[in-house]
Amino acid sequence: MSTPQTSEIVARCQALYEDLNFTAAREWKEAEPGRKVIGFMPIYIPREIIHAAGMLPLGILGGGDQLEVIHGDAYYQSYICRIPRSTIELGVSGRLDFVDGMLFPSICDVIRNLSGMWKVMFPGVYSKYFDVPQNYEDEVGGRFYVNEMAEFRRDLEEMAGRKITDDDLRRSIGLYNRNRRLIRELYALRARTPWKAPAAEVYLVVRAGLVLPVEEHSALLEQYIAAAEAEDRPIRDNCRIVLTGMFCEQPPLNLIKSLELAGCYIVDDDLLLVTRWLIDDVPLDGDPLHNLSQAFLHQSESTAAKYEPDQEEKGKFLVRAVKRTGAEGVIFAAPSFCDPALLDRPMLQNVLTRANIPFIAFKYAENSGQMQPIREQAGTFADSIKLWSAA
Amino acid sequence: MTLAAGIDVGTGAVKTAIFRVGDGKEEWLSRATLRIRQRDPMELAREAFERTLEDAGLKEEDLDYIATTGEGESIPFHTGHFYSMTAHARGAQFLNPETRAVLDCGALHGRAIITDERGKVLKYKMTSQCASGSGQFLENIARYLGIAQDEIGKLSLQADDPEAVSSICAVLAETDVINMVSRGISAPNILKGIHLSMASRLARLLKSIGVGNSLVMVTGGLAKDEGLVAAMNEELAKIKGVDAKVISHPDSIYAGAIGAALWGAFRFDKLAASGQLLKAS
Repeated sequence: MSTPQTSEIVARCQALYEDLNFTAAREWKEAEPGRKVIGFMPIYIPREIIHAAGMLPLGILGGGDQLEVIHGDAYYQSYICRIPRSTIELGVSGRLDFVDGMLFPSICDVIRNLSGMWKVMFPGVYSKYFDVPQNYEDEVGGRFYVNEMAEFRRDLEEMAGRKITDDDLRRSIGLYNRNRRLIRELYALRARTPWKAPAAEVYLVVRAGLVLPVEEHSALLEQYIAAAEAEDRPIRDNCRIVLTGMFCEQPPLNLIKSLELAGCYIVDDDLLLVTRWLIDDVPLDGDPLHNLSQAFLHQSESTAAKYEPDQEEKGKFLVRAVKRTGAEGVIFAAPSFCDPALLDRPMLQNVLTRANIPFIAFKYAENSGQMQPIREQAGTFADSIKLWSAA
Repeated sequence: MTLAAGIDVGTGAVKTAIFRVGDGKEEWLSRATLRIRQRDPMELAREAFERTLEDAGLKEEDLDYIATTGEGESIPFHTGHFYSMTAHARGAQFLNPETRAVLDCGALHGRAIITDERGKVLKYKMTSQCASGSGQFLENIARYLGIAQDEIGKLSLQADDPEAVSSICAVLAETDVINMVSRGISAPNILKGIHLSMASRLARLLKSIGVGNSLVMVTGGLAKDEGLVAAMNEELAKIKGVDAKVISHPDSIYAGAIGAALWGAFRFDKLAASGQLLKAS
């Protein structure tokens, strides 16, 4: 069988991205009796446990720019971001009626409250506020997190009507390790040769992993990496930037495209962090929950949403990302009213200023339609780097 | 010597320019401009580019850098893209090295820019969303009055009693013009009134970014409109603390394409100097 072109792979991923009825996940569920689907919101949950229970982890990332929010607005004040509104809209409009459970990770108070609202609105659906540790000490956050995962494992065993063995978990961890390795490979390819893997394509290909079974997604990643490496695409004289702040409510696809069109190659980002939260393989030997916990505490990605107790270390992850990827600047792009991204932004910007790394900042919503101001900001930023930087 | 092309895809026209740069000289080899009307701007860009190449006696592969600006970022054969403001600032600098401020007046917006002697943008401000400060608005009015676009400036200079027009909203201004026509106001006085209205907004824009006593070059499609340039100088003279002079240039319409080409050459030389040529060319 011949390797598909990037355009074919991306077209499939785009169709998955645009499908707010989650047809692929519905078809997966209907393929065998007894299958269950567990939805989860950004930014991180251990998908391995859901997979080990024989269930499909399904990423719910709001309604994007194609969903008209009618009911969702009635549940929130005007100064709340859009992702909870559009997620409620997805729920009340029946688009999530096949989802057997919903997980709300501890990203912010809005998502925490949404978990309670979900319990009230959809009493027949398993709903859990998934409390990941904010303390990264083994004896505190580590023990807490193992208990949290054990409780979740018991809940899923009850739903599945069977035990989730340690071997089940190890097998799933192995599959997700492979998936994360491939995504790291894809990100490295983009950082090396950003013209071969445009940011919007990388986004769509990675995002497909939130609705497809991990085995299928890893195969798709392999195909895309091979196709992208083989394809000859023109190199543009763009600057290279790190994009940060987009870890929860997702930007419209047009925003990502606009940044590249404006002259910025995106060589690193914090989009879809659940797929890259763990930055190294989780060991397969020993207690799998302990291993997942250790990986979360000590081998996980840094972002504005992750508590950093060491003030000296605060924001250094951005400087490291810039150096690692050869970036020339940073774009802070955060959803309007996003506390985790916006409250940390001044501190992160101070770190960049001290490191002499240029940056710009703007806000968006998942349904932002007017890209001209963003193109203007990104375009002038790219020009200033290309024309006036020392290099 | 570095050979670079600039392609400026505007709302109303595509402009192209090719330069040879080296030994401290910037030699303008060829140019083309094509009105977009109903045509595909990307096809038109190719056509204008081909004409410019032919006039310069060059092939595409002879060029070191093909720069786009305006709406040209989707042109498939470009090396790099510069934001229109960056390109206009450099283009104005080329047309008159004394320029320290630029007024880019295109079909859909007006933008005031303060530059330094290298053409680097130091500060800028745009008109708001309303079309009343734009070339498109003026084009509509000319159509209502049955006047060719080229005649607007000359007629405006003949005005003896210009009639005030709303400077807040294009819709209100168009209503004003219809009333004026029915009241028998002459076309020169209507056009001068519109020019003064646009000029007053643009003058305030220049003042707000600290134009001081700079030489202001008008670029973009409206640069050819001598009536607007005259009105701009009248309006600026009324503002206390501002002693700026507004000028235009016969090639002002090419400012974006010129700037893109010159920045392209600059960028090519910069990449070459740092051993990164593979990155872009």
